[in-house]
Amino acid sequence: MTGQTHALLAGLTVVAVAVIVRLVRRQVLKAKYTVLWLTVGLVLAVTASVPTLLDRAADRLGIWYQPTLFMLLAIGFLMLLAMHFSYELSRMEKRIRALAEEVALLRGPEDENRRAPD
Amino acid sequence: MRTAVIIPAFNEADALPGVLAGLARQNPDHDIVVVDDGSTDGTAIVARAAGATCLRLPFNLGIGGALRLGFRYAVEQGYDRAYQFDADGQHDASQVEALLAGLDDADMVIGSRFMGVRDYRVGRSRGMAMGLLRRLVRLICGQAFTDTSSGFRAFQRPVLELFAIEYPVEYMESVEALVLAVRRGFTVREVPVVMHDRAGGRASNRSLRLAYHFVRLLIVLVAGGTSRGRRAAS
Repeated sequence: MTGQTHALLAGLTVVAVAVIVRLVRRQVLKAKYTVLWLTVGLVLAVTASVPTLLDRAADRLGIWYQPTLFMLLAIGFLMLLAMHFSYELSRMEKRIRALAEEVALLRGPEDENRRAPD
Repeated sequence: MRTAVIIPAFNEADALPGVLAGLARQNPDHDIVVVDDGSTDGTAIVARAAGATCLRLPFNLGIGGALRLGFRYAVEQGYDRAYQFDADGQHDASQVEALLAGLDDADMVIGSRFMGVRDYRVGRSRGMAMGLLRRLVRLICGQAFTDTSSGFRAFQRPVLELFAIEYPVEYMESVEALVLAVRRGFTVREVPVVMHDRAGGRASNRSLRLAYHFVRLLIVLVAGGTSRGRRAAS
């Protein structure tokens, strides 16, 4: 890795970690996502500050072009995350449906006071 | 015997008064429940003005969600049986008697356009898709159905109790519901009925959407319906 690409990666990592820390400090994330993203930030920080780490790991695994290892890990992680979100979304949709039904029943057959939002 | 009429309605204020009047004339002792599926026109007002019970969903859930609420209401209110009726004027109130007569020896009855005496025309691609579905359903159910997409259906209370909890919520839900009922060991039969062209509203037949849901339905059916259904069958 050249000095320039290292500097670029380090810069991007700093930005990513800064965004993560900011989100965590504002407490907008659920606890489990806080843990998840802090871990991601930590991994990014370590790989950026010890650039030889990934290269050595790639060599040991017999990966000829070292950045591929990073790509592989990143894509795998993102795929898993996307699947997890699909699962969570499906579950939330189911619950929202059940809530909507409950609302209609609670309103009762006589309720007139509100129109449905567009 | 208490009978509920479940009418899912989404922006059907124009067609609804005629539909409700027709039903009340034919079967004055049936209780009409309109499920207003997040309409933005006066559907609920029209329904109540006609003396029907109207349940209003806070936003649009689609036909399956609206039906499930109707089934749930029918179960909670202690109805012995219920039938589904379209808000858009496609169904004929004079056919209700024949539909309900089918419940004498079945748990669920489907009013079929294609067993009927008169012609009912559908588009070519739609007809082909429906044909393929028919074959698949016959394979899964071990029983032939001529009109798997019919929304003119009657249910005994045990079926209502099942559907109140797990009615399929996606578009073209009637096929999934049919397979679910058969898998749970209910007897389902068809009776021939005559239907009209739609009086109002819009037919949901935009081809891309239809194609997507057709593929989705094939996958769901081939994969064994819901996982719950598989567990119950095994």
